[in-house]
Amino acid sequence: MSDLRDLYQSVILDHNKKPRNLRRPEGANRDADGFNPLCGDKVRVYLEVEGDVVKDVGFEGSGCAISTASASLMTEAVKGRTLDQAQRLFEGFHQLVTRPPTAEPDTTALGQLTVFAGVREFPIRVKCATLAWHTLRSAIEGGATATTE
Amino acid sequence: MEALSEVPGLRLIGSPRDRAAVVSFVMEGIHPHDVGTVLDQEGVAVRTGHHCAQPLMERFGVPATARASFALYNTHADVDALVAALHRAREVFA
Repeated sequence: MSDLRDLYQSVILDHNKKPRNLRRPEGANRDADGFNPLCGDKVRVYLEVEGDVVKDVGFEGSGCAISTASASLMTEAVKGRTLDQAQRLFEGFHQLVTRPPTAEPDTTALGQLTVFAGVREFPIRVKCATLAWHTLRSAIEGGATATTE
Repeated sequence: MEALSEVPGLRLIGSPRDRAAVVSFVMEGIHPHDVGTVLDQEGVAVRTGHHCAQPLMERFGVPATARASFALYNTHADVDALVAALHRAREVFA
């Protein structure tokens, strides 16, 4: 039986209580909305892209602890990276939370994001964790609304 | 209903004159989804989300609710388990 602590690690609880970058960056020039229709998590991701670098990133929204913490950690991971690096982080994160629970997570590339490895044991929460990332990708690609349906 | 009203931070949704054995509620500061996960780990099954009733969620001004249903096979011990699990949820998210 999975331990709650696998899912609600202190980093996640901290980012849920005090989300980082919960704001609209002043120079934001891209944004996208994300919506998880099955449970009501909503997020809007703002990006300030200069050249091919994410100069600044922020988000607004409301949702469960997992989706909020994920958005917060996402902004910290992506800020200052190139768009390519951000896309690769998206793929790495997606793999992290959808791989079978027995597979070892690749911790090197993902850094702090590996706290979400426990989500694999709670499949119904996977979409909460990936919402912010799908929305980020949408913002990068200039799309409008991401949904995890 | 009495036991639930004693859980701090718990707000019942809906105050019907005639109530069926179904209770929807929200916990202050804890999203219903997270309540559901904690309760699940404590062996208590509830439903969380919109319950296919989004307009009603808007009416009550909540993003979602947790819903406990009781049937003839439930016992007082189940109610106690629910209350204990809700206290545990408060601990986790304090």
